[in-house]
Amino acid sequence: MTALLEITDLSVDYGEGAGSTHAVNHVSFTLQHGEFVGLVGESGSGKSTLGFAVTGLSKPPAHVVGGSILLDGVDIASLSSADLREQRHGGIAMVLQSGMNALNPVRSIRNHFVDIFRAHGHIDRADWNSRAEELVAKVELPSSVLDRYPGELSGGMRQRVSIALALSLEPKLMVFDEPTTALDVLVQHAVMDTIIELQKKENFTALLISHDLGIVLESAQRVLVMHEGEIVEDAPSRQILESPRDDYTKMLLSHYADPRADVVELPGFEKRVASVSSRTRQKDQKAIVVDHVSKVYPAPRRGEPQVTAVDDVSFTLEPGQSLALVGASGSGKSTLAKLITAVEKPSAGSVRFGDLDVGSLRRGQFRQLHRDVQMVFQDPYAALNPLHTVEYTLTRPVVNFTGLKGLDARRRVLELLDTVGLSPVEEFAAKLPHQLSGGQRQRVVIARALASNPQVIIADEPVSMLDVSLRAGVLALLEDLREQWGVSLLYITHDLLSARVVTDNIMVLNGGRVVERGNTAEVLRNPSDEYTIRLLDAIPNPGRRDVA
Amino acid sequence: MSTQSIPPSTRAVRAIEEASIAPAPSPLKVVLRVASTVWSNGKARIGIIILGLMILIAVFAPLLAPYGARQNGFDRSADASAAHWLGTTAAGEDVLSQLIWGAQISIFVGLVAGLLSTVIAVLVGLSWGYVRGFGADVINFIVNLFLVIPGLPLMIVIAAYLSGGGIGMIIVVVVITGWAWGARVLRSQTQSLRSRDFVTAAVFSGERPFRIVFREILPNMTSLIVGNFFGAATAAILAEAGLEYLGLGDTTVVSWGTMLFWAQNSNALLTGQWALLFAPGLCIALLATSLTLINFGVDGISNPRLREGSKR
Repeated sequence: MTALLEITDLSVDYGEGAGSTHAVNHVSFTLQHGEFVGLVGESGSGKSTLGFAVTGLSKPPAHVVGGSILLDGVDIASLSSADLREQRHGGIAMVLQSGMNALNPVRSIRNHFVDIFRAHGHIDRADWNSRAEELVAKVELPSSVLDRYPGELSGGMRQRVSIALALSLEPKLMVFDEPTTALDVLVQHAVMDTIIELQKKENFTALLISHDLGIVLESAQRVLVMHEGEIVEDAPSRQILESPRDDYTKMLLSHYADPRADVVELPGFEKRVASVSSRTRQKDQKAIVVDHVSKVYPAPRRGEPQVTAVDDVSFTLEPGQSLALVGASGSGKSTLAKLITAVEKPSAGSVRFGDLDVGSLRRGQFRQLHRDVQMVFQDPYAALNPLHTVEYTLTRPVVNFTGLKGLDARRRVLELLDTVGLSPVEEFAAKLPHQLSGGQRQRVVIARALASNPQVIIADEPVSMLDVSLRAGVLALLEDLREQWGVSLLYITHDLLSARVVTDNIMVLNGGRVVERGNTAEVLRNPSDEYTIRLLDAIPNPGRRDVA
Repeated sequence: MSTQSIPPSTRAVRAIEEASIAPAPSPLKVVLRVASTVWSNGKARIGIIILGLMILIAVFAPLLAPYGARQNGFDRSADASAAHWLGTTAAGEDVLSQLIWGAQISIFVGLVAGLLSTVIAVLVGLSWGYVRGFGADVINFIVNLFLVIPGLPLMIVIAAYLSGGGIGMIIVVVVITGWAWGARVLRSQTQSLRSRDFVTAAVFSGERPFRIVFREILPNMTSLIVGNFFGAATAAILAEAGLEYLGLGDTTVVSWGTMLFWAQNSNALLTGQWALLFAPGLCIALLATSLTLINFGVDGISNPRLREGSKR
């Protein structure tokens, strides 16, 4: 049997001439019929560029500069765009990361199917409806979704619809480019299950592109590991898991661990057991007391019920303590962070920081609170003003909160950069955000939060936008700061593994209510609430396929 | 104070001598960087060159123009000749000289009226976009009032009311009728930027609202504001020409608009004097085009990634 897809010596460049970037560098691999292959790499590794090249969707400035892509013996790179469109039927289909946003909001789901059927004419007009119903059933959706509009469906449902649309042309090869990255943890788990089931039933060849080795290992039979434009390892999943050969693969694997284990080890967090180490305390450190707080938002539309984001939550963040707030999206954990930082006001109950009643602060009084309570944002790409240098960004809180000026302020800024590990400090101070990597940006964001010498840091998913290899570094930094400065940490996340390594205590939120709380290691090892168990089960587990 | 507020754990920096700490980059450098960004765009360069030439012509009109603007006594309605490259008007004035002198008025009115209406649009638009509640509603009402009144009739009414005011009157009329649209555009952009994380982060940095609006939000709209300025300047040039063409300005002043007014009055097209109509018309179009071309380069300022892309 010949291979379905044969890629030989493929290179893709961005731009031309001396300034071009080699995104994909002399890559060769083959896909057999009916195989499920994963393609793993961190951002910038060229995995998506490769995916687009395989499907013939490369857009300028990306262009194929060498090698061949043979699908059933036909070179895709040499096809004209008209031939390429013909080939889409029974050829290659692609599901995008933002596939759920690829639906036209003013056309019903049925119309999306009809558009494809009409364009390719491979199905009789009389069978359009039954075929569309059959397709949505394959992705485990009821046929009633056909009459809905994209805006009425959830993210997971929309991603399922785009998978069904891709299936409608009976492709031999399906390329999934980060199909679940934009989805909530629990939904992500369910959609991946559908994809795995579907591949077994329909027996198409699947190429799953992902940054998450865990997801790939639990679904794919064979894994390609990509690093800086080259495929560094190509081996069956079990072999990658048990005896990885390449150093890069080993490094990626080292960042996975089971949060339920007795001892969790990550690079930078060796031998962390469930114990509260004695930490240096700052003088006069105050606790955050959240007392029976609720937050109700008005109904999104007339006639619909109000939205209760946070429902009667009470807890105390003691000085020097680290508390994890976990839950899936919509569980109210970010709303709770907004209430604590006075961005939103509670509908009932009170939030107190020392003597300060946070809920009753007016805009002009925010400085009182923000001197001691600072925040690290989720998206380091959005949290820095793109037009200000690192120095300006850090100087402002220094000037506003410590009253230092001129050279004193500048020395403090350089100290902060050193504290977060960005050296040479002078060089980093002069940089603009777009000249920094995601991990470096997040360090700048953390440095800014430290500028006022705060007592409490609220970190809202600080590593969820970062590559796996950078996560441990940022987490280790947060942990160091806590140990050295005695800062209390409220760590908001859906990632239980990171919660396990940086926090002492944990609170699990579901639908705005606290469903479980206690010592982090104990809760994760012996979860009692069903929701906590579901969250734990949704974590990609490299060994899951073997068990199943 | 100083010893208390500096936290521990800084090894490398303590070693840095005070003398070696260089001051932060100066504002002058930033301006130069912005200028070179705009210049690096091919289209913008053409626009800057055309605009530059026109400004030079306007400034050096006394040296360049072969005759005075209102100097008459030549043959009336003469065709192009060696003495009068573009012919003469019905009143016996040199068309080329009028064209050169007229550039002064058009460019002056365009830049000043454009600048004034942009300043008003920025002040109103940004504060309107950042404040919430009753204040925003009041501004909303006023801006909507200016938006729903049809521009040209309002312009004509005001111009007729202030008749005889000359260039200053025209600038006032253009500014009054021209700022509202820009304010609305800038307001919606401010509203979308206000919810960005870096604005929230600025609140956490202890920044006052005024500084957040003008140091965090405003620089991110530079291209929009500069674009708005060039758009407003273009509109002002066209409005000035339009008002003067209708005879609402001071018809004794020589500008491209009044040239069109007199050309129309003397039926220049019927007598075959195409240059009298086309030359000022083309100049107005060329000036407007140059401003639009510069706008292409301005886009690179607000988006550094766009800038690096253009280098590749």
